[in-house]
Amino acid sequence: MRARLPEFPTQHIDRGQEISFSYLGKRMSGLGGDSVAVAMYDNGVRIFSRSLKYHRPRGLYSLDGESANTLMNIDGIPNENAEKRRLRDGMEVSAQNVRGRPDTDFYSFINWFDRFMPAGFYYRMFHRPYKLWPFFLNRIRKMAGVGTLDIHREFDDSRRFEIFLNADVAVIGGGTAGMNAALAAAGQGLRVCLFEHRAWLGGHMDWRVVEFEDEPLFERARGLAKQVEANTQIRLFTQAPVTGIWGNKLITAYQTGKDGEYFDERYIECRAKSVVVASGCIERPLVCNNNERPGVMQVNTAWRLARTYAITPGKRIVFSIGDDLGLEAALDLAELGLKVLAVADARSDKQNADLLTRLQSAGIEYLPGWAASNVKGGKHVRGVELSELNGSQTCSFKCDLLVASAGQQAVIGPLSTAGAKFRYCTETGLFQPTEMPPKMFSAGRMTGLTHPGSIDTSGTIAGLEAAAACDRDVSTNLDAARRAAAKLPGETKGCDLVYGPGIGAGRKAFICFDGDGTFKNAVQSASQGFDAPELAKRFGGFGLGPGQYQVPGQNLAMAMSNINGTPIENSQFTTVRPPLVPLTLATCVGPRHNIYKQTPLHRDQKARGGIFRNAGVWRRARYFSPDLDCRPEIRNVRENVGLLDGSSLGNFRIYGPDALRALQRVYVSNMEKSREGRCKYSAMCNETGNIVDDGVVTKVADDNYYFTTTSNRAGITIEWFRYHTRFDDWDFKLVNLTDSMGSINVAGPNARNLLQKVTKEDLSNEAFPYMAYKELIVGDGVSARCLRLGFVGELSFELHVAASHSQYVWDLLWEAGQEFKVHPFGMEAQNCLRAEKGHVIVGTESEQRVTLLDIGLGFLWDSNDTSSNKVGAPALRACENQQGRMKLVGFRVSESGVTPLDGDIVVDGNDIVGYVCTTRISESLDCSYGMALVKDGYATRGEKIRMCQALGKRHDEYTATVVPPQFYDPDGQRLRT
Amino acid sequence: MSFTITCPICGERDVYEFHFGGRDRGPPPSHDNLTIEEYLRYAQFRTTRTEAQLEWWFHSNGCGSWFTTWRNPANNREEKPQEMSNDQQ
Ligand SMILES: [Zn+2]
Repeated sequence: MRARLPEFPTQHIDRGQEISFSYLGKRMSGLGGDSVAVAMYDNGVRIFSRSLKYHRPRGLYSLDGESANTLMNIDGIPNENAEKRRLRDGMEVSAQNVRGRPDTDFYSFINWFDRFMPAGFYYRMFHRPYKLWPFFLNRIRKMAGVGTLDIHREFDDSRRFEIFLNADVAVIGGGTAGMNAALAAAGQGLRVCLFEHRAWLGGHMDWRVVEFEDEPLFERARGLAKQVEANTQIRLFTQAPVTGIWGNKLITAYQTGKDGEYFDERYIECRAKSVVVASGCIERPLVCNNNERPGVMQVNTAWRLARTYAITPGKRIVFSIGDDLGLEAALDLAELGLKVLAVADARSDKQNADLLTRLQSAGIEYLPGWAASNVKGGKHVRGVELSELNGSQTCSFKCDLLVASAGQQAVIGPLSTAGAKFRYCTETGLFQPTEMPPKMFSAGRMTGLTHPGSIDTSGTIAGLEAAAACDRDVSTNLDAARRAAAKLPGETKGCDLVYGPGIGAGRKAFICFDGDGTFKNAVQSASQGFDAPELAKRFGGFGLGPGQYQVPGQNLAMAMSNINGTPIENSQFTTVRPPLVPLTLATCVGPRHNIYKQTPLHRDQKARGGIFRNAGVWRRARYFSPDLDCRPEIRNVRENVGLLDGSSLGNFRIYGPDALRALQRVYVSNMEKSREGRCKYSAMCNETGNIVDDGVVTKVADDNYYFTTTSNRAGITIEWFRYHTRFDDWDFKLVNLTDSMGSINVAGPNARNLLQKVTKEDLSNEAFPYMAYKELIVGDGVSARCLRLGFVGELSFELHVAASHSQYVWDLLWEAGQEFKVHPFGMEAQNCLRAEKGHVIVGTESEQRVTLLDIGLGFLWDSNDTSSNKVGAPALRACENQQGRMKLVGFRVSESGVTPLDGDIVVDGNDIVGYVCTTRISESLDCSYGMALVKDGYATRGEKIRMCQALGKRHDEYTATVVPPQFYDPDGQRLRT
Repeated sequence: MSFTITCPICGERDVYEFHFGGRDRGPPPSHDNLTIEEYLRYAQFRTTRTEAQLEWWFHSNGCGSWFTTWRNPANNREEKPQEMSNDQQ
C-alpha cells in the first residue's frame, strides 16, 4: 500500500482498518472500504487480465464492473468482478485467462496475429473439413478461458437468502434524482423500496466538490441520503444492483451483504405498483487506437480513485473528454496537486465558460475540437497522441495515464428490460426513453439533464407521478414541481463523437473489450452483410460479455450507423438482456428449500426408526428396515399384521344437492351405485382419457359423500372438480380434509384380531365384509372412519381419524398389537406388497400416453353413460378398440434372484418397445416380478420380452415372460377372509 | 412469467399464485352424438392469439376459486380488447 492522499470528506475509506490480502501469492494490503480492484491498483497492479481473443493486457478502466477487464478468481470463485467485490481480510486473488501472470502472459504473442482473426473468425475458419472443428474447438477453448471452476471446493450455501417485497413505489437508482423521487413518494405515505448498486447513495454527486447553492455537491447529496435513511417509509437497499424489470413491474435484484450482515448475497424480487427509474449515466468509452491499453481509464474512475479512495491515479495525466464533467474532473485532479498536462475536448462549443476560465488559470493546455487518436506504450501507457478532429494537427504527450471518454450514455438496462422504447436524441447524445411502460417514470441524468437542481426536481416530479399512479392526489405538489422545473435549465448538449481522429482501419480501436471487438471488426461485419447492430453483435462479437450494454452498448449502434451512412437518430442499440448485472447461480437459487408436510404421526414414525424420503409434498417414512429391501416388514404384513401411517392420502367430503352430479362428472364409474356402508373404487380421467387419480367413494348420507384421492392428487382435487363443473352452476360444497385427518392402515392376517381389541363394533367378515365402510368408536370414544380395503393384498382396515387423534389411535393399536408382535411398515414395503398384488399406482403404472383402458382398469368405466358428460369419456370411446397402444403387463423374470431396475427399457433388437414401471425380487413368490408398459404386440400372455438399462454402463440383460399382473393371491382370497 | 392476475375475491396478485385454465371457449360439447373429430377439436386444438382474450384462472394459492379475466398474451397485461374498452368509455 502506498501513501494515500490527505483525508477529505468525500472519501469512503476507513484509514484505521488495514486489510491484508494476497494477489498471485503476493501479500498486499488495502484499507476498509476499498474494492478489490482499487486495493490492487493502489498496490501497483496495472495489468489485471488478458483479453479473450488477442490476449492483450487489460487494466482498471471502470469502477462499477462495466467490462470483463477485472474479472478475477477470488477465494477460489472464478469470474468475480474485482471492481464490485469489497476487500475482505485474507482474500486470495488470482488472475484468469492467462498462462502464468497477466503481465507476462505466454499467449500475448497472439496480439500480433489479429489480421488473421477477422470478424466472424471462429465461424468461418476451422470448419473445413468439418471433422476438424471439434479439435480446434478444444484448442480455442483452452486458450480463451473465462475462469476455472473448482468443483472440489466446499461451497457454503447457508449464507444466501431471498426476499420477496411488495412496494407501492420502487425507485431504481440512489442518485439525487432517485432519492428525491423516493422522498416525494414516501411523503405521500407510500411504501417505497430504493435500489442502489453502490454501497452508498449519491450517484455521481457523491465525489463532486463544486458548489451549488453555496454547498458542495457531495455534501448536498449526503444530506439527502441522511433524509432517505431516516425515512421509515423508505426501505433502502444498497449494494443491490437491479438485474431486470419484468411483467407488471416486478423488479429483480440481488444484494451483497455488508460486513457483519447475516447474508453474503440475497436475491430480491419486488413487486411495485409504480416504478421510478433514475439509473443515471455511465461514460461512453472513447474509441481510438489502443483505447484499452492499461493506463487508459474513464473520467469517473480516475476521479473517484482520488476523491473516494484517496489514491493517486497517475503521475502525468492527459484528458480526452466530451463533456463538462470531464473538464470538472481535470480541474479537480489538478487542484488535488496532480499533474494534468492537457485536456482535449471533443466539443468545439457549448462548454461551461466558468470551467474554461478556471482551466486556463490553472495553466492546463486546453484543446477544443480535439481528441486522443492513439495511445502509445506496450503493457502500459507511455504517451498519447492528440489530434484535431479533422485530422489536420497532431501533438504528443508523454504520460502514464490517459483519462478518456466520449461523454455520457444512459444506463438503459432497467428500462429496456421493462419494455420501454428508446430513441437516440441528437441534442443530448443519449438514447432516451420515448415510450414508457404503464406506471413507470424516468428521471435524472438519463433524461439528458446535468444541472443539479434540474436533476433533483425531475426526481421529485417522477416520485409524485409514481404516487399519482398509486391513486394519491398530488396535483398541487406536482404543479409546483413542474413550475420549478420550467425555470431550471433543461437538457444539456451531449457529445456526438463516434470515434477518435485518425482511426484508420481501427485494427486496435476497441468498441467492445470483453470480446475484443474492434472498429475494424464492425466494418468487416458490415461488409459481409451483417450491417445492423444486432447482426454485427453476433458476427463481430460485441456486447456478448459481462459488459453487455455498458462499454460497447451505445458505441456499437453509433459506429454501425456511421459505417452504414444512416442517420444516427434511426439507430437502435442491441437488445438488452437480463440479468443486467452478472450474478451467481447460487444467488438465484437462494437457500436450498426443503419444504414438506409432516403427517400427524411424523415424530412417532421417526422414533420408531423410520427412514424418511420426500414423496410429493410430503415427507414420509419409506423404510423401517436398515437393508432397504424391507424383507421383515413385508413378511410381517403377509404373515402377521403391520401398521402403516398413510396420512398423506387425500380425504374429501362433498355434499349438497348436486354432489352426486359432480361425482358423476369426474369419476368414470356410475357413482349412483355408491351406497351407504360400502366403498366404491373408481378412477378419474383427464379429457384425453388418461387416468389421473383413483380412490374410493362412500355415501355417508343423501347428498353427502366421503372420498379418498391419491396423495399426489389431493392438492388439485378441488380445482379439478370446480373446473369441470364451472359452467353448470351446481350446488355442492367440497371440503379438503387431507391435512385435518390422519390415516392408519392395519394390514395382515391378524388385522381383524388386532382391531377387534380396540372396538366393540362387530368386525367379522359377515358384519364387515371386504369393501365395506363403518364409522367405529375406538378406545375411549374416538370416532374413526374405517374402510376395509386391500391395497397391499391382505386383510386390512384403513382408519381415518382426526389428525389430533392420530397419535392416540396409533398408540392404542400398537398396544393392542403387542401380543401379535405388530410392526410398522413404510412406503417401500407397501409398494412391494401392492405390486405383487398387481395394484397400480397412478403415475407409476400409468403415464400420459396410456388410458384407463390400457392399464386394465376399463371395467371401472360406465361406457353407456353419455348424459353425465364424464370427463374423458369420448376419448376412451375413441380408443377402445384402437391398435398399437401401450398396455400394462405383468412379467416374471427368467433369471432368478436378480431383477432389472424401475425404468429400464424393454427392447426388441434395437427397438425400444416399452419400459419397466415397477420391478422387485419377490419376498412371497419364487421369482422376480414386475409390471411394464409395452406396445400391444408384446402384451400377449406368454410372450418373451427382453429388458436392459436405458442409459449408463450396465449392460445386464434380462428375459422375462409376460403374465397377468396379479402375482400374489390372484383370486383375492386373502383380502376377503 | 411474472405478471399479475386480478382475482375477483383477493385482488391483484402474483401469477405464481394461479393456475391457468385456458381461453374461455364456452362449455364443453355434450357427449350425446358427439363425433370424435368434434371432440378432438375441443380437447386438443388451441388457437394462439396475440390480442386480449377472456381466460379462466384458478386461485390455487389463494381463495380457491375459478374465475375469468381478460388478458393479452402478447404483453401479459390484463386488458380488454380495443373495441370493448372503447364501448365502456
Ligand atoms: Zn382469490
